[in-house]
Amino acid sequence: MDVLKRLDEIKSDFEEELTHCRDAGDLEAVRVKYVGRKGELTGILRSLSGLSPEEKREAGKRANVLKNEFAGSLAEIKERLKSERAREKEGGLDVTLPGIRHRMGTVHPLTRTMARINEIFVSLGFRIAEGPEIESEFYNFEALNIPLDHPSRDAFDTFYIDREYLLRSHTSNVQVHVMQRQSPPVQVIMPGRVYRPDAVDATHSFMFHQVEGLLVDEDVKFSDLKGVLSVFCKSMFGEDIKMRLRPHFFPFTEPSAEVDISCIICKGEGCRVCSGNGWLEILGAGMVNPKVFEAVGYDPEKYTGFAFGMGVERIAMLLYGIDDIRLFYENDVRFLEQFI
Amino acid sequence: MKLSYEWLKEYVDIDVSGEELAHGLTMAGTEVGAIEDVDGDRVMDLEITSNRPDCLNIIGLAREASAVFDKDLRLPEMKIPERALGEKGPPIKCLVQNRKLCPRYTARVITDVHIKEASERIERRILALGLRAVNNVVDVTNFCLMETGQPLHAFDLDRIRGGKVIVREAARGEKLVTIDGVERELEPGMPVIADAAGPIAIAGVMGGKTTEVTGSTKNILLESAYFDPISIRRAARALGLSSDSSYRFERGADKGMTLAASDRAARLIYEEAGGKICELYDVGVLAPEEVSIEFDTGKAENLLGISLEPEKVKRIFRRLGMTVSGEKGAKMVVGVPSFREDIRKEVDLIEEVARIHGYDNIPATITRFVPQVKRKERSRRVEEKLREMLPALGLNEIMAYSLISEAAVKRFAAITAYPVALRNPLSEDQKILTPQLLDGMLRAVSWNINRKNTDLGLFEVGKIYSRVRGAFLEVPAVCVGLTGDLRKNWQEGRRPANLYDLKGIVETVLRGLKLSAVFREAPVEGLANCAGIFLPGGKESIGFLGEASSRLLSEYGISQPVYICQVKLDAIMENAVLENRYLSVSRFPTSVRDVSILCDRSLSAGEIRAVIEETGEEIIRGIDLLDVYEGERIPGGKKSLTYSIEYGLESRTLTDEEIEAIHSRVKDGLVKELKVSFR
Repeated sequence: MDVLKRLDEIKSDFEEELTHCRDAGDLEAVRVKYVGRKGELTGILRSLSGLSPEEKREAGKRANVLKNEFAGSLAEIKERLKSERAREKEGGLDVTLPGIRHRMGTVHPLTRTMARINEIFVSLGFRIAEGPEIESEFYNFEALNIPLDHPSRDAFDTFYIDREYLLRSHTSNVQVHVMQRQSPPVQVIMPGRVYRPDAVDATHSFMFHQVEGLLVDEDVKFSDLKGVLSVFCKSMFGEDIKMRLRPHFFPFTEPSAEVDISCIICKGEGCRVCSGNGWLEILGAGMVNPKVFEAVGYDPEKYTGFAFGMGVERIAMLLYGIDDIRLFYENDVRFLEQFI
Repeated sequence: MKLSYEWLKEYVDIDVSGEELAHGLTMAGTEVGAIEDVDGDRVMDLEITSNRPDCLNIIGLAREASAVFDKDLRLPEMKIPERALGEKGPPIKCLVQNRKLCPRYTARVITDVHIKEASERIERRILALGLRAVNNVVDVTNFCLMETGQPLHAFDLDRIRGGKVIVREAARGEKLVTIDGVERELEPGMPVIADAAGPIAIAGVMGGKTTEVTGSTKNILLESAYFDPISIRRAARALGLSSDSSYRFERGADKGMTLAASDRAARLIYEEAGGKICELYDVGVLAPEEVSIEFDTGKAENLLGISLEPEKVKRIFRRLGMTVSGEKGAKMVVGVPSFREDIRKEVDLIEEVARIHGYDNIPATITRFVPQVKRKERSRRVEEKLREMLPALGLNEIMAYSLISEAAVKRFAAITAYPVALRNPLSEDQKILTPQLLDGMLRAVSWNINRKNTDLGLFEVGKIYSRVRGAFLEVPAVCVGLTGDLRKNWQEGRRPANLYDLKGIVETVLRGLKLSAVFREAPVEGLANCAGIFLPGGKESIGFLGEASSRLLSEYGISQPVYICQVKLDAIMENAVLENRYLSVSRFPTSVRDVSILCDRSLSAGEIRAVIEETGEEIIRGIDLLDVYEGERIPGGKKSLTYSIEYGLESRTLTDEEIEAIHSRVKDGLVKELKVSFR
């Protein structure tokens, strides 16, 4: 029946128009259009004359239901608009009141820095290995070609627990454990906490953190070490960072190098942070000394490898512009909450 | 070590700027720090690594520069001129009692010297290097030390008692006033030079006051020796006295330089102070080890990742004072000079080639990526997860020192078994490896409150240390501390943190690891309202939570409540479920019924919950405690708990009748088991 179909159309048109109403004027216009004396519904009721009594009754009933429904909807919306207006007038919603904020916790900057370092090396295929902080002389020194009573030990002043055990002065002890446990290829990084009896000041701490890396396989070259370190430096400090290696001495590597990056503050121009020379030392590295391979039972004729190590505090201080190492251990929340 | 550029130029033919020299040396492994202008000279601060004692002198550095800049080295005249030789001097006996301590001892008698100021050519050199000018003889010994690296000492011969010098170990109770005027107690075993009456020098470290060369000295005894590095190192450390001499001996003096340096010094003393050069006493033999190493250029190329011209390699070796023989193309035999005891293997030679060739000339290659398939260790994954979840709950991670004071250990004596102490602590505050994380947490809380940061939620993931039956244990643990307001805003006002907030954090985190815990009252010294935390079925607690006692708070200078917990992670790491597995979500709706229970105050919420769970069995989907009330509206000694219980089945929708039936059963159960009533 066409009339019923038409009624359905009117209903959906009405509802559609209702959603566009913004004030009482809009509402009144819709009311007049649909239920007014010359409105759509009234028009339908007037046009029923040509229909059978059956049809008339049904269409009339339906039209009346709609008429009531429309009136109800109009009243409801009118009320809602009125109360919104009222609230706006009373200033019920002050959009400048602060929202109810949630406390957002933070991860310690050293944890963040270590995680970032780890992530870079993990993406290069390194696995994370850990080892004990309380360590024997063998793992901390002897296996790493650092003999007792030798000036090379000066760089590794150490806290002792008894005649044999000590607090590791570097995470290199983990290298020895890893190589004793597995045969090559080895590709690990070793993050951890280390200790040296240094009096605390702005740049020294008796406890700090290191990340070391080790890669051993057949035919590993010094140029591979440079490659991996340059990927690290660029990922950590930026694409345009320059890196240089200077020969140095470490008992457990040969050839050995200290690794500098162009100063991230002055871009190599020379500033206070880089002591004016444009370079910042951030890493020690080198090819694993064959004596270390002998100590762990690897064949030094068959395998070569490289190792590197860095201080996490040093990297974090450069990365975040922190000028006092003690801040890491004071745990002032005004410091901690900056690392969000 | 300091380097005077002018002095260096006497021995090597270079003509680059001071900055270029500094850069060249730095990039070959001798790091140059500050450069200073001293009277037109350029004086540089060098950092010499412990493997290169040969660079602790000007000739050695000239040799480095000659290799780096590929220029000729010019060595000074070392021989004593004929005309300086004299007749017999006063007789003296030289005895070496301990050959291990001193494999070779030489002493030269020089008579009739004329002590005065040294000439300008000597004085300006040693002043440039930061040494003090004393007199011509002493200045020459220092000049030769800096020039050749061989420490020398001149005694006033006439003040040596009994006509003999003895190299021996110090005896118990012996003392010596050294030339710096300090009286030093010698320990048995320290190497000394003695005369008939007692020590006159600490061998290789510093001479004695009584025999020093002064303005009235006429005859001298010039000592040049090789002392055992370890003995010198121990003596210098025991005395807390590091001298230019001991610094070189402990790193190893050049065994080929003992007599040559003595001759060089005698020659210069003759030139500076006149006199006659008489007998040389030479005790012991010390032949430098003859070392030759086979070197294969191909192997160096492989290790470094570059190609090398054998001719260039040979040139580098020769510039560094080595000999090259047996050349067959890329293979050669390299003779190592006495001053390079650090070179004993082929790889040592490869390093020499690499550093002179220049690390900058080695490319960076990225050819080896071994993809990692092994998953991270469980322990690491649990720690990482904690460091995600706890900040998400609004907590700040702290890091405390793992070395703490004995007093801090004693505060928590009850939870401390067998702490690990340092034998050589730096201070009383950092003496023991921490057996708990509470001290670090309370120190951080105290630090912050003192700085007006009073609302705190902190956590630490660290280690606790102990020694059990000889084995050292390092157990990972987590500590959480809450204090002040948990929330503070204009809608809710101040909402101070309490123990249940802390318990909620523990429960939430455990849920994140798909674990649950049982909490049982368990006293811990220093904590009030303390509960032990147990894994279900676990006999030993994994940790505890409670409120810091007022005594504890006062020890940390804190005057507001602090809620604190510590949980060991070893059992958690073992049991945590780190994988996610989807469990199907029921498609059928559940229904919720509330019940308000009135019961004695002493009845615990845990007991009520247990009865609900038991009677409701698998139809119960959830139990939420909505309200706990004690007060005027209910009888004294009673409390009211309102629970919201959710019922449902996995397989179908429950009918209203079924829900009413089970809810009644639960209520009946509560009445029967716990004698509660309902409101």
